[in-house]
Amino acid sequence: MRTAIVLSALVAAGLTAGAATAEAQNSASIQATATVLSALTVAAGNNLQFGNVTPGVNKTIAITDAGVGTFTVTKAATSGVTLSFTLPTNLASGADQLPIGSWTGAWNTSATTAGANGFTPSAAGTNTSVTAGTSLTVFVGATVSPVAAQAAGNYSGTVTMSAVYF
Amino acid sequence: MVSASSTGALVTIPAANLMRFQLFVLLPALAAAPSAAAQVSITGIRDLTFGQVIVGIPSSVGPSHPTKSGQFRITAPLSSKVQVRFTLPDALAGPGGAQLPISFGSNDAMAIGSAPGSTPITFNPKATRNPQFQPSTAYDVFIGGTVTPAGNQQPGSYAATITLTITNF
Repeated sequence: MRTAIVLSALVAAGLTAGAATAEAQNSASIQATATVLSALTVAAGNNLQFGNVTPGVNKTIAITDAGVGTFTVTKAATSGVTLSFTLPTNLASGADQLPIGSWTGAWNTSATTAGANGFTPSAAGTNTSVTAGTSLTVFVGATVSPVAAQAAGNYSGTVTMSAVYF
Repeated sequence: MVSASSTGALVTIPAANLMRFQLFVLLPALAAAPSAAAQVSITGIRDLTFGQVIVGIPSSVGPSHPTKSGQFRITAPLSSKVQVRFTLPDALAGPGGAQLPISFGSNDAMAIGSAPGSTPITFNPKATRNPQFQPSTAYDVFIGGTVTPAGNQQPGSYAATITLTITNF
């Protein structure tokens, strides 16, 4: 009798355990993550100014020259950006064209060219490093190449810079 | 008089207790036998990663994204019957208690079986799903979503938990 009681109890326990696993739940978790960055802004600064140029004589504005063009970028700290440009191949004065090219650029976390990081402006874009700063100054220089018969006049073109987080 | 040996030890049990001895030997054997339920498993493989998002600009990750979508893996015996259910957050938690809303569209979940030629199936992560473990015995379940930072969203890192629960019958 005692053996029979033990048997019954153990069988019942076994059946109960089996029922528990027949509709078992199992779960796993992952994280959803995001890093929110402050808005990225680009502002035009100084125009790229060649001043007077002489027909037949190329003139270059280096990034350290007074006439260098500038942009400023406000961004999130510790996030790099890609700087890309739409660059003219000519400046225009009415129907007259003044070739421009040999673009040079530099970016810095301060508004000075000392210690700036040089690059070649392009449509393809240039990545800045991931710096701690929240502001970048971008410097742009180029060379104009007036022909000997270049028509006199005021020539201008538009340089556009875009910035995006990478 | 009955004797049994185990790892070199000799145990001697009176004949009157033979029945109880057999029962105790039998029960551990039953417990060790793998049930179908015990063979169903789920593992979190990869976080759902939105990366950098910009204030005021919604950002989405599709379930088929090769690196950013969340991923779980479910394994079960052939012909198993299971139910799959997500527990989804409404927002990610950020700095100073800031909340970043997250939403899930009707096609933001996807499952693909391990069997050769298996076709990905998209489904609504807010609904339960009953995948057929035939012919596959493993499924990768992917999840995407959309975060919608406000224009004045507090910058910083945000996170929340996504749980996938399987119930096997």
